[in-house]
Amino acid sequence: MSWFADLLGPWRGFTVTWRQMFKPKLTTRYPKEKRVKPQRFHGRHTLNRYPDGMEKCIGCELCASVCPARCIYVRGADNPPDDPVSPGERFGFVYEINMLRCIFCGMCVEACPTEAITMTHLFEMSVSDRQEGIFTKDVLLVEPDGTPNHPLPDTPLIDIKELRLGDGWLRATAPSGRAEFEGVEAWSPSARMGGLAPAEPAQKDRNATDETGQPEEGTDD
Amino acid sequence: MADKPATVTINLDGVDIEVAAGQPLIEAAQKAGTYIPRFCYHSRLEPAGVCRACLVEVEGPRGTALVPSCTTPVGDGMVVHTKSETVEKAQAGVLEFLLANHPLDCPVCDKGGECPLQDQAYAFGAGESRYVEEKRHFEKPIEISDLILLDRERCILCSRCTRFSEDISGDPLIEFKDRGNYVQVITFPDEPFASYFSGNTVQICPVGALTAKPYRFKARPWDLEAVESVSLVDTIHSKVSVQASQNEIIRIYGVDNDATNHGWLSDKDRFVHDHIYAEDRITTPLVKEDGDFREATWAEAIGLVSERLGSFDGGRIAGIGGARSTNEDAYAFSKFLRSVVGTPHLDAQVGDGLDAKFAAAVTPRAEIGDLETAKTILLWGPDLKEELPVLYLRVRRAATHLGAKLVIVHPRRTGLDGVAAHTITYKPGTGPDLLRKLAAGDGDYAPVRETLAEGPVVALVGRAGLGEDPDLAEAVAAFALELPDAKIMPLLRRGNVFGALDMGVAPTLLPGRVDVDDASGRAALEAEWGSLPDGPGLDATGILTGLAEGELSALVLNGADPVRDHPTPTTARAGLDAAEFVVAFEMFMSDSAAYADVIFPVAGLGEVEGTATNIEGRVQKINRIVPPAGTARPVWSIFDDLAAAMGTEFGAASAEAVGAEITRVAPAYAGAAWDRLSWGEGRDGFVLPTADGSQPLEYTPVDRNVPIVSGHRILHTARVLYDDGVIVRHSSGIAGLAATAAAHLHPRDASVLALAEGDLITITVDGEATLPVVIDPSLVEGTVYVPFNLAATAGLGAVGTLRIDAVRGGDA
Ligand code: SF4
Ligand code: SF4
Ligand code: SF4
Ligand code: FES
Repeated sequence: MSWFADLLGPWRGFTVTWRQMFKPKLTTRYPKEKRVKPQRFHGRHTLNRYPDGMEKCIGCELCASVCPARCIYVRGADNPPDDPVSPGERFGFVYEINMLRCIFCGMCVEACPTEAITMTHLFEMSVSDRQEGIFTKDVLLVEPDGTPNHPLPDTPLIDIKELRLGDGWLRATAPSGRAEFEGVEAWSPSARMGGLAPAEPAQKDRNATDETGQPEEGTDD
Repeated sequence: MADKPATVTINLDGVDIEVAAGQPLIEAAQKAGTYIPRFCYHSRLEPAGVCRACLVEVEGPRGTALVPSCTTPVGDGMVVHTKSETVEKAQAGVLEFLLANHPLDCPVCDKGGECPLQDQAYAFGAGESRYVEEKRHFEKPIEISDLILLDRERCILCSRCTRFSEDISGDPLIEFKDRGNYVQVITFPDEPFASYFSGNTVQICPVGALTAKPYRFKARPWDLEAVESVSLVDTIHSKVSVQASQNEIIRIYGVDNDATNHGWLSDKDRFVHDHIYAEDRITTPLVKEDGDFREATWAEAIGLVSERLGSFDGGRIAGIGGARSTNEDAYAFSKFLRSVVGTPHLDAQVGDGLDAKFAAAVTPRAEIGDLETAKTILLWGPDLKEELPVLYLRVRRAATHLGAKLVIVHPRRTGLDGVAAHTITYKPGTGPDLLRKLAAGDGDYAPVRETLAEGPVVALVGRAGLGEDPDLAEAVAAFALELPDAKIMPLLRRGNVFGALDMGVAPTLLPGRVDVDDASGRAALEAEWGSLPDGPGLDATGILTGLAEGELSALVLNGADPVRDHPTPTTARAGLDAAEFVVAFEMFMSDSAAYADVIFPVAGLGEVEGTATNIEGRVQKINRIVPPAGTARPVWSIFDDLAAAMGTEFGAASAEAVGAEITRVAPAYAGAAWDRLSWGEGRDGFVLPTADGSQPLEYTPVDRNVPIVSGHRILHTARVLYDDGVIVRHSSGIAGLAATAAAHLHPRDASVLALAEGDLITITVDGEATLPVVIDPSLVEGTVYVPFNLAATAGLGAVGTLRIDAVRGGDA
């Protein structure tokens, strides 16, 4: 029988192939197709405004100090009394993130006392020159009407709509990131959202969702 | 704290320790490694016991009680608990109370990150407050002076600022107001917190209630880098921490040391740093062409200067300056002029100082620390508050806290009058007469003479005004030496002038306190430097007149501004005008640099490394934290290049190599090597000569029979802290604080001249100035006082016949 086994040998290697061939496909045909990202996805940052248009950043440099990649540069300045940029005495005068060094850990979001810096779902940010990798305040800050900024045009690849998504991460970390506050809306909405995003499910309801934290129908086919 | 060998044994948290008697418990515990929280306690202030953060349990005859450890002196057999449950609860409770009203401003507060309240709330607080009530509200920061902002919401009422202002600086301009829940710290209405020492309160405020305007929101503490250095603003050389963020110096803090400043700084030390970022700083070499400066390369400038200097006979070249920078820079200057150029004419002073030998080598010389043990302090010289503010603090402390009797002799009131045992005012020019009467104890002066008979005596002597004969200071010193246990401190104020004199930047001195005529000293130096020009050269006044009269041809101006600083500006202008070639080492286009043919841009504060020697002859290390602006270079390296271009290699690869050469060549500096000054016992520097060194010249002051100058009216002109000097003018923090120029007249002189306060008069001395009249009863009749070197008095000068003309219609 051994000659038969020898004959079959080369084909046996294809067992896995055959098995997989008849299972549903998991590959997403990016960029034509895009997966919905988890609500707490760590994508590009934005600097938010209050609903009245004031900047939230107070230039405190806490984000810069906590950043493990040392990629944030902030300088504060006195708010002009007759035309304040942010509520209070101080505002973020210079705000830069070197996206080439950022590791998207989200520590800056956690450190920020005013929820000025948050992360969105946009991750397509390739640039053609290193200088462009330094995102300045012009790029990071949302417009007074809540429109997010991006240096590149809206193409199928760079889906700027994704800059509007992402409060889930913020919600999970605020206030103090304590489990009993999960699902409790304890922050002010950022102007770009134009209101509150639907609450994220609390820990105890997680079992009903997949491991990404998304409701089942949010994953692929 | 004198050396009290007495010790007591206390039991601290179950461990018996032996501690020095007489100190507060909080201090003893800290030395034993147990930190007790505190807000109001500061080791340089008298304990007040107002914040209650430092409560500890002490066992006593009536049971264990909570006591504030800052006001409780250690006692023999004391049993102390600093970590018991009761203590922890009490400390957490106090913090909760303090935070009841303290706003949670930390993210925008300049103190956040280095705040004792933050740190101690983390370490000793409860973590959460039970207070939900609204906090106290005040107007957010109010400007209490041009430099200081006060946020009363943040104040925890520790009284450090009020105690400093009252006890240490003697400017009680900030106080508590109201009672109970309404108590607040505030300045007096219409009276700004205009103290020369206001910045210290910002540094010691344990919260962000007092903040400094120049530093406001510039950086957060965690992005500051710091080096320890000394302040070259005056000759005290206060220990400072120079702090930079993103390669820019943005803050200077005082560093506590026993030797010089006790941690305090004057606001000039503290806020002077931003001149290095002034827009009109010279950052490339400049060469004059057809009367205008154009930028040049270093190679071109060095080539041009070496060629021009080489074209003159060495003896026709002279140098003035060297007092603004390090010893290494001054040494290179001295070596270049004496050994490469071959001229004996060099002077670090600008005709406004003292005899070089007297200033550099007087024996016995007082240290600042001698003020702590002195019974009597004789101050015959400048107003210390204006010229040497940190020395003012030390003298004031000796008079108010240590029981020293202070005798002040000055032509008008001074900042220290309030704490002096005797003050004598005199008409400038009559000093020699006064000295004779004082020495003899004639009539009115008998009680003063009696006070002076009690030793040890420290005599602080200098020129009371710029018109004063420098030999008078020496005559006073000669008199003071007859007093019991007397030591002399010659008072000069310009930056590193004592270091420059020690490096031989003086017509009569060679490096290391060697007389220029000392044969063996010369021989030793010639072995290192090659042959030296003969004998003493000309001093600054001699150099300037020599240039004007054509005896000299070229001048090297090393960070000096004789047009502004010389007592007769016309002499300076005439000399600079007549010079065939002038090269200036400068940071700014000063009035004198404008006469230069070539200007080398030099590195400044925080940009140079080296050593400096202070008023007591203490050599300390200066450190660098930022690179020089533009292509500016340290002075020593420019002289190094010039020497090479003129055919003599100095071969110094770094400032440190120059420093090493100094310790080899200058006898008084032997052993004062850089590495010894950076660590361990040498961190506060060494008073020279060090144990390994020697001082060949020990100068005993002599009375040269100074002539009495008589005149109907005599000008007294002296420097003020914020003048119109080129550095202050370019420091944005303090430039606006320059004193207002005025002519101070005695009330009787004013009435004789029919002048009232505010009338304009034109005063003519060397130049002229038109100034408003201020009636000043502290003057002696016949004296007219004008602050020196303000924008309005710049050309006036100090020496000459005084003329006063009323300006018609001058009632501005
Ligand atoms: S995500 Fe992390 S690495 Fe990126 S900027 Fe924030 S803290 Fe820095
Ligand atoms: S983004 Fe937030 S943490 Fe960063 S400087 Fe602004 S306020 Fe501070
Ligand atoms: S301002 Fe600062 S130093 Fe002064 S009392 Fe208040 S907390 Fe103390
Ligand atoms: S430190 Fe003792 S009461 Fe304030």
